[in-house]
Amino acid sequence: MFYLSRQTVSRHRSLYAGSFVALAVGVFLLGLAATATAATIAYKGPASSIISVMTLGGDGAEPRRMNVPMSGEDVSGLQVVLSMVGTISGFITIFVIASTFAFAVASRRRELGLLRLVGATPRRVRRMVLGEALVVAVAASLTGAVLAQLATPLLLRKASYSELAPVKLEPAAPWIPLAIAVAAGLLVAMLGARSAARRAGRVGPIDALRESALEGSRIGPVRIIFGLLFMAGAITMLTLIRPATGDGAVPLAMFAPMVMVIGLTLLAPLIVPLVGRLWALPLVAWTRVSGRLARSNVVAAPRRTASLAAPILAISAIAGSIVLSLSIAADTAGAQIRDAVKAPIVVTGGADVSRFPGVETVDAGLPLQLVRIDRDDAQLEDAEGIDPVMATRTRDLVALSGDLRGLTGNTVAVSKEMSGFENYRVGDEVPVTFLDRTSVKLRVVAIVKDAFGVNPSLLLPLDLVRAHAPKAVPDRQFVVPAANVDPAPLVTRLPNAQLATRWEADQADGVRKGNQLGLILLLGPAGFYSAIAIANTLLMGSLQRRREFVTSRLLGATPAQIRRMVLWESSLVGAVALSLGTAITITVGVLIRHAMTAGLIDVPLTVPWGVLLGIAGLCLILAIGSALAPTAYILRRSEPSAAVD
Amino acid sequence: MTATAPSYPTVAPIEPPALLLDGITKTYRSKAGAVDALRGVTYQFARGSFTAVMGPSGSGKSTLLQCAAGLDQPTNGTVVLNGAPLGGLSEVELTKLRRAEMGFVFQAYNLLPSLTVYDNVALPLRLTGRRPSRSDVHRVLEQVGLEGKAKRRPAELSGGQQQRVAIARALITKPSVFFADEPTGALDSGTSRQILGLLREATDRAGQTVVMVTHDPVAAAYAERVLFLSDGLLAGHLDRATPAQIAASMSDLER
Repeated sequence: MFYLSRQTVSRHRSLYAGSFVALAVGVFLLGLAATATAATIAYKGPASSIISVMTLGGDGAEPRRMNVPMSGEDVSGLQVVLSMVGTISGFITIFVIASTFAFAVASRRRELGLLRLVGATPRRVRRMVLGEALVVAVAASLTGAVLAQLATPLLLRKASYSELAPVKLEPAAPWIPLAIAVAAGLLVAMLGARSAARRAGRVGPIDALRESALEGSRIGPVRIIFGLLFMAGAITMLTLIRPATGDGAVPLAMFAPMVMVIGLTLLAPLIVPLVGRLWALPLVAWTRVSGRLARSNVVAAPRRTASLAAPILAISAIAGSIVLSLSIAADTAGAQIRDAVKAPIVVTGGADVSRFPGVETVDAGLPLQLVRIDRDDAQLEDAEGIDPVMATRTRDLVALSGDLRGLTGNTVAVSKEMSGFENYRVGDEVPVTFLDRTSVKLRVVAIVKDAFGVNPSLLLPLDLVRAHAPKAVPDRQFVVPAANVDPAPLVTRLPNAQLATRWEADQADGVRKGNQLGLILLLGPAGFYSAIAIANTLLMGSLQRRREFVTSRLLGATPAQIRRMVLWESSLVGAVALSLGTAITITVGVLIRHAMTAGLIDVPLTVPWGVLLGIAGLCLILAIGSALAPTAYILRRSEPSAAVD
Repeated sequence: MTATAPSYPTVAPIEPPALLLDGITKTYRSKAGAVDALRGVTYQFARGSFTAVMGPSGSGKSTLLQCAAGLDQPTNGTVVLNGAPLGGLSEVELTKLRRAEMGFVFQAYNLLPSLTVYDNVALPLRLTGRRPSRSDVHRVLEQVGLEGKAKRRPAELSGGQQQRVAIARALITKPSVFFADEPTGALDSGTSRQILGLLREATDRAGQTVVMVTHDPVAAAYAERVLFLSDGLLAGHLDRATPAQIAASMSDLER
């Protein structure tokens, strides 16, 4: 039976070339993420900058020794990004592969029906489709792995000494990561092919006799229920997980749209005709025949349309959600910083400004890093040494429980967020190791209100910080002028001083800029892949329609009419996909904003219109271009008489 | 092999008929309402008989063929093939029965475009898990007059040649019943004669049973008996009729 698979793969070259490209590029990205991760794992920082601590143990966790890198010179930032890139690439790959295989099966209904007619059992047809998927998957996965191996040194050169990995990365042994990527590729292909194969097995022998190769659009109640469950799950996820910072929002803005995309895809045969009809209203009104034809092609074959729309839907929903959520996170961060600073003046750097005339309070907190140890982990944390008297005057520093006046000696005030994660209460002891390698236990004296971007999670007494980090200097100081002194002229006299409003705006801009790098890294590969997938599916779709185009020519359609029909049709597919993607983006955006801005008032809303419209425009151009190009090619190459054979 | 005249009467005395339709009805339901395609058809196809089914468009003749071949489930009634009822068989059992006992020839030649003529013909055997013997495949190809074309692909053949490949493919499993739906619908009269001759030969030489749906009186005249179907009911039959007689009956029905 394998020989049949081989034969059909070579026959349906355009269908399988599509799946091949989609999978090879997916495995390439996965492989690249894997080899780069291997390089980060293989990276060992200089031994002198490592602090070795024992975790506490308890509650089933054994105490263990952990080596925590002392400086920021580690590769964890890159590892996080790589794992996200891997997740997004993996998701889009499985999604695209599933839809290309579904598309291939839908285009071959008659042929599969014929096989059934001459005696193939449903099981056999299923196995044949899986066999074909395997032929393609093996070839594509190996190709992708080889390409990944070739591109790894390039990527590592780019990643070395970057913000995410301020070290030199060398390629590690490629075998294990590439084996993982190839295995993932095969697994993804087989998972994607499974539902297509199952549908192929349901093709009846009678389908060989039907003239139209259209598949019914009816879907079972199970599928509808699952689709609704996925949608509900994503919305529950968004309402229950309430991220407070951008770092928390990104994974949510990544997973929630993924789940919704799956949900919408399950419901697609119901939703696509509705949305398609809606978008077709102006088309039908404006054009004479091509718009009408385009509408019927899109609406009458919802599964086919859904397959073509799938990659556009996936990337527009995910990219849109992440872009919008990060912008919302930056807006929120701005508002949080605004609300957390009471002082009207901020001085950058450590210059002593307390003696300037007109200055009343100077809150010169000292930043430091320390290793915080808990039951099963030890982490490098940012902390700040503060004078609680000064700090409560210049910042919105409020003890939710406990008393900040007790912040002397070996004590600590913990932010509400960290106390929530780690279950710290007033009176608890937090074991820490300073970078001078002294270990102490800090007693929690207060739980304070979160002030992201202004206060780190751990606030220590100023004297304790001076003792363990003698060289620490403030990186910003909050300054309150004396009673009737106008801050505006005072700013001009102080060194490196800014009005707090200006400083706050700069901080928010900094967050936004910092997000940009992450966005490019996260969405760059996924966008590249989706672009290929979009072009790929549309190309496949048009190449399959040679006969139809030729028949239309025979019926008297001019090449221009057919081109217009394809233009409207691909625009419709794009519009349907983008409307669903937009719906997901808006849902994610609204819910994430709602969660993030809880307790804040007057949070500005910056919608990155340029980027969002850019994503939509690019998707649309790709979709239309890759549908039109093969159509023009087919029309140039064939005469109407070709319809007869 | 006996070259005697076809056996009469239609009902064979001892062995069960090749194909028995008992009270077949078929109702299609759609949004527009229910349509009765068959309204109770009972008939026995004798072993080795060549029967043509005729009727105006929409009379239910294709539905009859599809129900008889187990491609579609009748709404009521039973189909019995060689003494074994089809009702209650699973899809897999039906498939196995179909590939062992039935051969199909349709208007659209229904060849797999990716396979050569040889592979198309050998496909049903491969699907049963048997390794087709080269001589068997070449023998049926020779039987339909396609010797030397084994390595071609369907697209390189004329319509008549493609239809002969389809017949060779149906012949190779030595089915007891052939189902043909407008097998000459797309062919010129000369090619049609060859195709019908091949079907005729199957009944005369190998004792196979042929059920052929057609609208062409000339094609129907190759059959021993022509059944007329109208509005989902049997409306009479003609035995060993000439094309002119058949055409006359048809225009009566269509009136």
